[in-house]
Amino acid sequence: MSLHDDVVTQVTQNPKYQELVRRKDRISYAFFIVTFVIYSGFILTLAFNPSLFGRSIEGMTMSIGVVTGICVLVSASVLVSLYVYISNKVFDPLLASVIEEAGQ
Amino acid sequence: MKFLLSLSALLLSMPSLAHAAGGQGNTSAIVMFLIFIAATMVITWWAAKRTQTTSDFYTAGGGITGFQNGLAIAGDYLSAASFLGIAGMVYVSGFDGIIYAIGFMFGWPTVMFLVAERLRNLGRYNFADVTSFRLQQVPMRVLAASASLLVIALYLIAQMVGAGKLIVLLFGIEYKLAVLVVGSLMMIYVTFGGMTATTWVQIIKAVLMLFGATLMTFLVLKGFNFNLDAILVEAVDVHPDGRGILAPGSAVSGNPLNALSLGIALAFGTAGLPHILMRFFTVANAKEARKSVIWASSFIGYFYVLTFIIGFSAIAILVKHPEYFVTDADGNFDMINSLIGGTNMVAVHLANAVGGDLLLGFLAAVTFATIVAVVAGLALAGAAAISHDLYANVIAKGKASEEKQLKVSKLSTVMLGVLSIILGIVFENQNVAFMVGLAFAIAASSNFPVLVLSMYWRGCTTRGATIGGFIGLASATIWVVLSTTVWVDVFGFAEPITPFPNPGILSIPLAFASIWLFSMLDKSAAAEKEKAAFTALTVRSQTGIGATGAQSH
Repeated sequence: MSLHDDVVTQVTQNPKYQELVRRKDRISYAFFIVTFVIYSGFILTLAFNPSLFGRSIEGMTMSIGVVTGICVLVSASVLVSLYVYISNKVFDPLLASVIEEAGQ
Repeated sequence: MKFLLSLSALLLSMPSLAHAAGGQGNTSAIVMFLIFIAATMVITWWAAKRTQTTSDFYTAGGGITGFQNGLAIAGDYLSAASFLGIAGMVYVSGFDGIIYAIGFMFGWPTVMFLVAERLRNLGRYNFADVTSFRLQQVPMRVLAASASLLVIALYLIAQMVGAGKLIVLLFGIEYKLAVLVVGSLMMIYVTFGGMTATTWVQIIKAVLMLFGATLMTFLVLKGFNFNLDAILVEAVDVHPDGRGILAPGSAVSGNPLNALSLGIALAFGTAGLPHILMRFFTVANAKEARKSVIWASSFIGYFYVLTFIIGFSAIAILVKHPEYFVTDADGNFDMINSLIGGTNMVAVHLANAVGGDLLLGFLAAVTFATIVAVVAGLALAGAAAISHDLYANVIAKGKASEEKQLKVSKLSTVMLGVLSIILGIVFENQNVAFMVGLAFAIAASSNFPVLVLSMYWRGCTTRGATIGGFIGLASATIWVVLSTTVWVDVFGFAEPITPFPNPGILSIPLAFASIWLFSMLDKSAAAEKEKAAFTALTVRSQTGIGATGAQSH
């Protein structure tokens, strides 16, 4: 089950692994921050400027709040999908070569 | 098998019982539900043959695909409460219902970006495998099991009580019988079929639920010529709050900090729910775990959007049907307070209005199936906490044999089943509305911080994680007990001690800060070893080298 120390040392010294970790962490944090900004933006507007959300959209009954709410909801799914797309395209090939070089 | 037979006899007698109880028993609902039970029994029988090892029992042998798992997660997440509850909330206060749904939805990006892949690479059966990966087994398992069992108990009680009442309304059977049926079915699925059966029950239920909601939305939209704005025009026209239903209402304006606090707990709680995290070990690898999240979040988001349409159109449509309300002598009714069965029944009445008895029956059967499936998922996660964490790793110190572990898991499932039936009956007339919120708050204040810091922060030590995790658990629980929802509504005191009901805004930062502080103060030799093991953890969490793979059958 557990990893051998020499495998760990070998992998951590592989420049491809270092690149993978650096880029992957950057992407994860970036996505997390974007999500956090969207969500907290929504909640904070709700908490401190609720009347903005109550306004109608020109020529319709639909309010800004309902439309924003649905967009925010859908954005969560879109962000997740985008993240998976980047992971599949960029990280998986990099990861495959790291694993191969580790002889695993 | 004898038990199975007697249960099916019990179920077959349901139509007559329904008649006897004099409720609004619906034959098509009962027939469809019996078909569902028959199908899931066949699956359980099939799954039982494949459930030989603990890995089969807890993770279905790791052979579930990302798509299937996404459906199963959506099934776990979309409980009857989140469907009927959110539709009802939109019906009562419009926009405020959307806020809750968004909170539940934003748990998924958190799970994806911070947890899913690393979790899959590091663990085997449940998330405690991950928190104890480089930290000490005993304290981490005890912490994880305590928080998990508390979360599961709260969730179970809320489900059982809500379920019991719903089933009384939908099928016209007695409350105690309803609770007994749910508890017994759950025990059969989990004990005999383990994770394989539970997952397939969940998948079938999710598909039925998505189909039912889609059909209902289609029928509603057809009535309005697919013009969403037309629905809102009519809804605003008839609702007592008028245009207020399209703006944030009392749920938020009354106390913005409470809304904020709830929002944080919902967004971080998902990444700490034991029964949801457990699903990531049923797939073969991190890539499939990723796929699970994309499917789960898409299905959940889609379903919530449908629920909004259902909620708003119910405002416009139900008001034209006095037969769904308790009317006074002059035929007048209050569209919020006199709806038959309360506002949880909004979606059910709407199904009847747009699709007649058949759709009503279908929706009722799906609701029943949902409750059974969600309860089964919870029981399985609870059984894992008892047998895998407490028994195998704390009591037996990792020396328990495979058969012994499997036996203990099945025994704990039966115990949890019996317990949930008893709790369901005991709490019948209690206010359980706070329980799901508290479950999320505990998950976000204990499981989530420990999981994230143990995976992401080299400096996290056993002492820090244990103390911080318990502080998060205790502060969230104490806060809720002292708040309006328990202190006033349950215990009957005049004034609450905490200013608002949701603890997240305090308990989550407090847990993170305590883990940090007590880890920094920890200068023990063990702490140095744990920090040194962080490199190996990172390599495995990033690459999956050494991770438990799928087992072929």
